[in-house]
Amino acid sequence: MNASDKLEILKELLLTDERKYAESITKKLEVLEETVNKRNKLLPKVEPIIDDKLEEFVEDIPKTLGPTITAALKEEIANSQDAVVEALFPIMGRMIKRYVQHEMQLLQENITEQINSRFTIKGIKRRLKAKSAGVSEAELMLIEQGASKLHQLFVIEKGSGIIKASLTKDNTIDHDMIAGMLTAIKSFVEDAFQSGEQELQQIQYDLYTIHIQNFSQYYIAVVLSGIFDTKTQGKLEDLLLNFAQHKINKTDLTNQQEFSNKLKAYFTNEYI
Amino acid sequence: MSISKKIVLLGHFGVGKSSLIRRFVENTFSDDYKVTIGVHILKKSVQIDGTDLSMIIWDIEGNEKVQKTRNSYLMGTAGYIYVFDASRPSTYESINEDLTYLKGLLPNVPMHLVGNKVDLIDLPELKKILTKKNIDCKYFASAKTGDNVETIFESLGKQLI
Ligand SMILES: Nc1nc2c(ncn2[C@@H]2O[C@H](COP(=O)(O)OP(=O)(O)OP(=O)(O)O)[C@@H](O)[C@H]2O)c(=O)[nH]1
Ligand SMILES: [Mg+2]
Repeated sequence: MNASDKLEILKELLLTDERKYAESITKKLEVLEETVNKRNKLLPKVEPIIDDKLEEFVEDIPKTLGPTITAALKEEIANSQDAVVEALFPIMGRMIKRYVQHEMQLLQENITEQINSRFTIKGIKRRLKAKSAGVSEAELMLIEQGASKLHQLFVIEKGSGIIKASLTKDNTIDHDMIAGMLTAIKSFVEDAFQSGEQELQQIQYDLYTIHIQNFSQYYIAVVLSGIFDTKTQGKLEDLLLNFAQHKINKTDLTNQQEFSNKLKAYFTNEYI
Repeated sequence: MSISKKIVLLGHFGVGKSSLIRRFVENTFSDDYKVTIGVHILKKSVQIDGTDLSMIIWDIEGNEKVQKTRNSYLMGTAGYIYVFDASRPSTYESINEDLTYLKGLLPNVPMHLVGNKVDLIDLPELKKILTKKNIDCKYFASAKTGDNVETIFESLGKQLI
């Protein structure tokens, strides 16, 4: 830069119109301002569009990418079945197990309640039996629950409710009182429903079924536990009708001891 | 020899049927009133003239009218006791009617008429009233004191064997 150049610059610096400078700055500011305003005006308009687009995008992933992913997964599973089974098994297994456990627990609670509520010689016997057989007591009870077991059998005179003969395993409550109450319940039900010739045939009580076989002067009440379905009922009815037809004679109704012995000889199997 | 017989106790509400039976069977008494609903059955074995008699006692719910008693509760009974409350005339006002009805229903079945709760009343006074009403009552008892209870059941028992 020579002396004349320097002079030129100096001249320009000193002599340029200040207003012109200010003007250029103002122009630049205006542009800036406009840009900012425009952006603010645009934003609300643009944003939803962006959002929509984004949503669409997300929604489309399964459609667009899904098949690809599934195919990939399928292939992966096919190639490593063992690994997948391994991975799923505990989850499903746990689900099934939890369900079964729940059901078992309900059953167990039922049985435990039974054990506790009937702390009888029979209960103690079962406990001993379970121990010697190496199975749990509850398991044994399950077996006992499965089949229909004959607990007590009474031949009861109609009306009076007096026992004419009995066959019984457990001697818990007084039989005469049971027979009386049974007769009362029976006549109550028969009265209450005005059933005419109809007679009460079954009472369900807790885990027990009392099957009632009616004859003209007496009825036979059989106390059973376990599953008592139509098939078992048919079997029991045959047994009772056979017994009544072939074994009971007139003198039996006046000789309780002999009658009871007959019952004992006839009903040897305690499971029906 | 051993025999079983059904016996029924009848009478209005709260005359003391259950209390008499409890006194006879368990030798206890309670002032609480627990209404009997339907029927309750108890048993007591007694020795009468060398015979073991099992009395199967049907404690029936009380009724304003004896006609309302379920027939099935009376069926097959060997004997019955009709109880009234000596302290409440309403329980013996219609006794003769009631007994006629029962005799028609249970012909030739031994019966004892019993005035209970005699601990609450003056017995000679009551006897006068009953005579006036033409009520023939031989047995008076108190389940509370135990007065006469055993005698009544046993004398009925005697008629059953
Ligand atoms: N003082 C007294 N109270 C008695 C006597 N017998 C019974 N009671 C009371 O009378 C009330 C009714 O007695 P229950 O034996 O329940 O009468 P119930 O005839 O069996 O009554 P229901 O079953 O309702 O027909 C109870 O509060 C007894 O305590 C008695 O001999 N003397
Ligand atoms: Mg009562």
